[in-house]
Amino acid sequence: MSDGYPEYMRRSIEKVEATRENRADIDFERMKPEESQETLDNFHPDYRKEGKHELKVGPSKGELAPIELAELLESPSIIDPSEIDLSQVDYDVEILIVGGGGAGTVAALWAIKEGIDPKDILIATKLRHGDSNSMMAQGGIQAADKEVDSPVTHYLDAIGGGHYTNEPDLLKALTKDAPEIIKWHEKLGIMYDRDEKGEFVELPGGGTSRYRLHSAGDYTGMELMRVLMDESRNKGVPVLEFAPAVELLTDEKGNVSGALLMNLETNEYYVVRAKSTIMATGGFGRLHVQSYPTSNHYGATADGLIMGYRVGIPLRDMDSVQYHPTGAAFPDQVIGLLVTEKVRSLGGQPVNADGELFVNPLEPRDVEAAAIIRECYGREKGITTPTGMRGVWLDSPLIDFKEGEGTVAKRLPAMVRQYERFNIDMTKDPILVFPTLHYQNGGLMINSDSSTAVDGLFAAGEVSGGVHGKNRLMGNSLLDFNVFGRRAGITAAMHARKGQKPSKLTLDHLTKYNKELKDAGIERKNPSPMLLPEYRGKRVLERHLDVQVTL
Amino acid sequence: MITMDGYLYYPGCTLKTKASDYEESAMAVMDALGKPLVEMEDWYCCGAVQSLTTDDLMHQLAPIRTMCCAQEEGENELVTLCDMCYNVLKQANKRIKDNPDDLETINEFQDEDPDYLGDVEVYHLFEVLKEMKKEIKKKVVKDLSSLKIAPYYGCMLLRPTEIAVDDTEDPKIMEELIGLTGAAVIDNPKKTECCGSYHTVNRGDIVEKRVKEIVGRAVEDDVDMIVLSCPLCQFNLEYHQRVTDFDVPVLYLTELLAIAFGLEVGLKKHKIDPIKKLKEKDILE
Amino acid sequence: MSDEEDKKMIDIYVMGRRYKVPEGLTIMTALEYSGYKYVRGCGCRGGFCGACSTVYRKEGEYKLKMDLACQTAVEDGMFLVQLPFVPAVRKGFEIEDVDPKQNDNVLLEKYPEIARCVSCNTCTKACPQDIKVMDYVQASLRGDVDRAAKLSFDCIQCGLCSIRCPADIKHYHLAQLARRIKGRYIDLESSELAKMVEELQEGKYDEELNKLCSMSKEELKKVYDERTFQKEG
Repeated sequence: MSDGYPEYMRRSIEKVEATRENRADIDFERMKPEESQETLDNFHPDYRKEGKHELKVGPSKGELAPIELAELLESPSIIDPSEIDLSQVDYDVEILIVGGGGAGTVAALWAIKEGIDPKDILIATKLRHGDSNSMMAQGGIQAADKEVDSPVTHYLDAIGGGHYTNEPDLLKALTKDAPEIIKWHEKLGIMYDRDEKGEFVELPGGGTSRYRLHSAGDYTGMELMRVLMDESRNKGVPVLEFAPAVELLTDEKGNVSGALLMNLETNEYYVVRAKSTIMATGGFGRLHVQSYPTSNHYGATADGLIMGYRVGIPLRDMDSVQYHPTGAAFPDQVIGLLVTEKVRSLGGQPVNADGELFVNPLEPRDVEAAAIIRECYGREKGITTPTGMRGVWLDSPLIDFKEGEGTVAKRLPAMVRQYERFNIDMTKDPILVFPTLHYQNGGLMINSDSSTAVDGLFAAGEVSGGVHGKNRLMGNSLLDFNVFGRRAGITAAMHARKGQKPSKLTLDHLTKYNKELKDAGIERKNPSPMLLPEYRGKRVLERHLDVQVTL
Repeated sequence: MITMDGYLYYPGCTLKTKASDYEESAMAVMDALGKPLVEMEDWYCCGAVQSLTTDDLMHQLAPIRTMCCAQEEGENELVTLCDMCYNVLKQANKRIKDNPDDLETINEFQDEDPDYLGDVEVYHLFEVLKEMKKEIKKKVVKDLSSLKIAPYYGCMLLRPTEIAVDDTEDPKIMEELIGLTGAAVIDNPKKTECCGSYHTVNRGDIVEKRVKEIVGRAVEDDVDMIVLSCPLCQFNLEYHQRVTDFDVPVLYLTELLAIAFGLEVGLKKHKIDPIKKLKEKDILE
Repeated sequence: MSDEEDKKMIDIYVMGRRYKVPEGLTIMTALEYSGYKYVRGCGCRGGFCGACSTVYRKEGEYKLKMDLACQTAVEDGMFLVQLPFVPAVRKGFEIEDVDPKQNDNVLLEKYPEIARCVSCNTCTKACPQDIKVMDYVQASLRGDVDRAAKLSFDCIQCGLCSIRCPADIKHYHLAQLARRIKGRYIDLESSELAKMVEELQEGKYDEELNKLCSMSKEELKKVYDERTFQKEG
C-alpha cells in the first residue's frame, strides 16, 4: 500500500475501492448534445467571457484571445529595430527552421528528402534540440490503418470533436497522410507496441469511434523524438541550441527573409538569412491562461505566435484553449503534470469523493474536463488536498482489476514511475486529477501545404491553427507535427529551390507594428516574445536589481 | 553431484555468437537426455582474460556478479559450456570462497546490490555428461564406428589443477564420452597442448606453429576429426589450417553427440566443413 | 504562495551556497524559489527530457546521488549541482546499413568500448529511470539487440550513466542504436498498415473524404451523431 496519501484522503479511497467491482462493467452513457453544451457553458474555462480580450491591432484585429496572450501580442518587441545592425549575415541558409521540437525536426528530414543539402538547413532552438511538448506526449498517435477503420472515419471523429470548426483541407491532409507517416516511422525504426504478428496494438482515445491510437508504452512522444533527433544527427543537420529567434526579418516587399536569433548565454544576436523560414515553435502553455497549471514544457511561451503575428500572419481559434481533463492534482510537486488519457483508454474511470462514476471516461477532452470541474465546483463532490487544490479520483487500479495484474505496470511505466517517486502506487491506489492547461488549439493560419499568408514563411505543429478547430482529439498532435512538419519541409524546400537569396534584411515590419500599437493608444510594459517564463521566488524578485551589465 | 531436473546454464558471450553451434547442439543433446540446460535470466560477461591477468580483486567483479544472478534465481549450481568461461567463473568463485576477506570487499563494493553468499558451484558440461553415460549410450542411434577421432583438451579445462575437470596431465573424460558413440578414439599426445589462444589476434604466426603441430599430429594419425569444447581452440585449430594443406574439421563434443543421437543441429559455422566428411562416411545423407 | 510562512523551511546548498527554502518543493522549484532563472538545466519539467540531471550528496552521507531536478523533492542538507550537458560522441549510421542479419554485431562494431565493461554497475545506480543499464550493455556485447532495446526503452538520455562510467561507454547512444535496429529489423512489419497505404495511393478514400470536406455543419453533425463505436480492439 502507498503511504503517500494523508489519512482523510485514504478514507475517500476506501469508498472508491468499495464501488470498484460494481462500476467495472458500467458503460456510462455519453452526454447528449444539449447536456454537453450546458456543461461546457457553465464549467469550461474557455466559455468564461471575462478571460478573453479583443485584439486591437494586427491581422486578426477584432478577434478574441486569452488575456495572457493578448498582452504579449499587444506589446512592443524585446528588441529595438533601430539598434540592430543587420549588415553582417552570420548564417546564410536555404531553410531556417525556428524550433527544434517535433515539427521542426520532421521538416528538416523531409527538406533533405526533397533535395536540400543538410548543411544548408539551420535549426535554431530556444532550449536543446528536442525540448518540446512533442517529447512529453504519452498516449499515442492516431492513424487509421485497420480494416474496421478509415481516414474517413478519422476525419469524422476529429471534426465532430472539434465542434465542426476544423479547416476541411487541413483535416483531410491530417487524416489522409496518417498511415504514410506511420509507414515512414516503421522504416526509421520507431518501436511501436505490436502483437506477435507485427500488427499494431491500438487503443481508443476520447472522442474516437475506433481503436486507432498507436503507442510506444506511455513514452510515445519521447520514442518518436528520440528517433527523429537521431536521424537528424545521422543526416548532419546543423542545430543551434539556446539560440531562439527573437524576431523574423523581412525584405523590402514584406516577405520573410530570415530571422534574428539570440544566444541566451552570451546575449549576442545572430543574423540569419534564409530563402525559406519555417515557424515551428510550439504552443503557449507556460502563459498559464486563467492561472491554470500546465502540462507543457518550459519553453512553451507563444514566441512563434508573436513573431508570426507581427509579420502579418492572422491567428485563428485563439479563443479556445485545451485543458486536458486529467492533470495531476496531488502531490503538490506534480500539480499540472499530465496524466495521460491512456489511463482512461485502458479502462481507468474518473470517480468522485464518494466513489461514484460521474461521466463516460472517453468523452471529447473539453467535455470530460468540464465534467470534472462540474464535479468539483458545481456538485461539490471533489476531494480537496491539504493545500486547497480540488480534484477527482482517477481509478487506475481498475485497469488491473479488469485486464489482469501487471497491466498498469506494463502499459504505463512512466506514470507508475512518476507516482512512485512520491510514495504513491497507482497500481494499487487511485490518483487525484484535475484539468490542466494542455494544448493551444488554434494558432497561425496555414494552407494545407504549410505555407502562410506571407511569402517565405511556413508553419507547422502546435504554433499553427485550423487543423483541430476549437478542440483537438487525443493522438492528433503527434500526428499533426509529423504531417505538417513533412509538408512544411517539402514546401519550404521547393520554395527555396526556385527562389533567389533574399535581397534585403530589415525589421521594417516591427517599426510598422510599433506604430500601430502607438496609434491604437496601447502602452504595455511586458515586451515580447517572452522566451522564458518567470518562476523566481517573490521575495527574490522584490529585491532583484534588474540591471544589464555591458562589458 | 548435480541432482536437478535440468541445469541452470551460463552461456558466456561466445556461445551466443561465434560458437552458437556449440550451444545449439549442447541444448539439443541435453533436451534429448531429459536434463535441459536452462539459460540464466540475467548474466554478465565472465570477464574473460581480464580477471586472470593480475591480482586485482576488482577484476573478479564480473564473474561474481553472475554468481549473484544465479543466487537471485534461487539456485546454487551453474553449468557452463565454454572452457574460458568455465575457467574464469570457477577460478573467481574459488578465490572468493577461499578468501572471506575478498568476498567481503567485493560485496562492499557492490553496495546496495545483493551480497554474494559464496554458495554457488560452477560446473562444466563435461562433468554433467560424465554422470549420464548410460543415458547417453541409450540415445545413440547412428553408427559412428567408421569415424576416427582425436580428443583435444587445450588448457582451460585442466589448468590450474585446482579447477581441472579431470586429471591435468592425462585426462580421460572426453575419451570416455566419445567412446559412448561407438567412434574410434585415438590416444592424442598433443591433447593438452596450448592452441596459441589469444595470440590469434595479433601474433597469428605463433598460433600457426601450434596448429601445424597439433593438427599435423592428427593428420599423421589419419583421424577424421578433432573433438573439443573450447570455442577459441575450435576457431584457432580450424581457421589457421588455412596456411597448411590440412583439412581436418574440429567439432564440439556436443556436435558429435548430436550426430550420434540423430539430431540435425549445429555444424553451420565451421571454417572447415565437417558435413562433407560425414557424408563420405555415410553418416549424414 | 500565501502559505509560505506556514511552511517548514529547510537548508539546501546550491554549488555550496546555502539557501532557505520551503519544504515540499522539487529541486527545480527550490532553485527557482532561491532566485535562479533556468536557461540550461530545465526542459519538460515532467520527467521526460533528461535536461535537469542533478548530482547531490546529503550532509553526512558518503554517497553521491543522481536524479532529475523536476522529479525529486528537496531534502534538508542537500548539496546540489546540475549537469545540463554531457559530452558523449555518438556514431552516425545509415539505418539501411545496420540490419542485424547482415552484420555480426553492429553494436560492438560502432561502440567497441562496450567490451571494456567491468560489470561495476555504476551506470545502473546512476540512472534516474531505474533502467538496468549495465544489463543492456552486457546484452549489446553479446549481440542481443532485442534485449538491449527492451531494457533501455525508458531511457530519457540524460547521460548520467555515461558521466559515471569508468570504461567510458556511451550507454545512451548505444541504446538508441539498439532500439532503432529493433524497430526497423527485429519487429515485424504491419501488413494492415501496408494495405491501407496501398489503398490510399490508389485513391480509395478520396471521394468520401472530399464529400465530407464539402459538407455543411448541419450535415456533418448528422453523420457524426450517427457514428457507431467499435466495442473491442
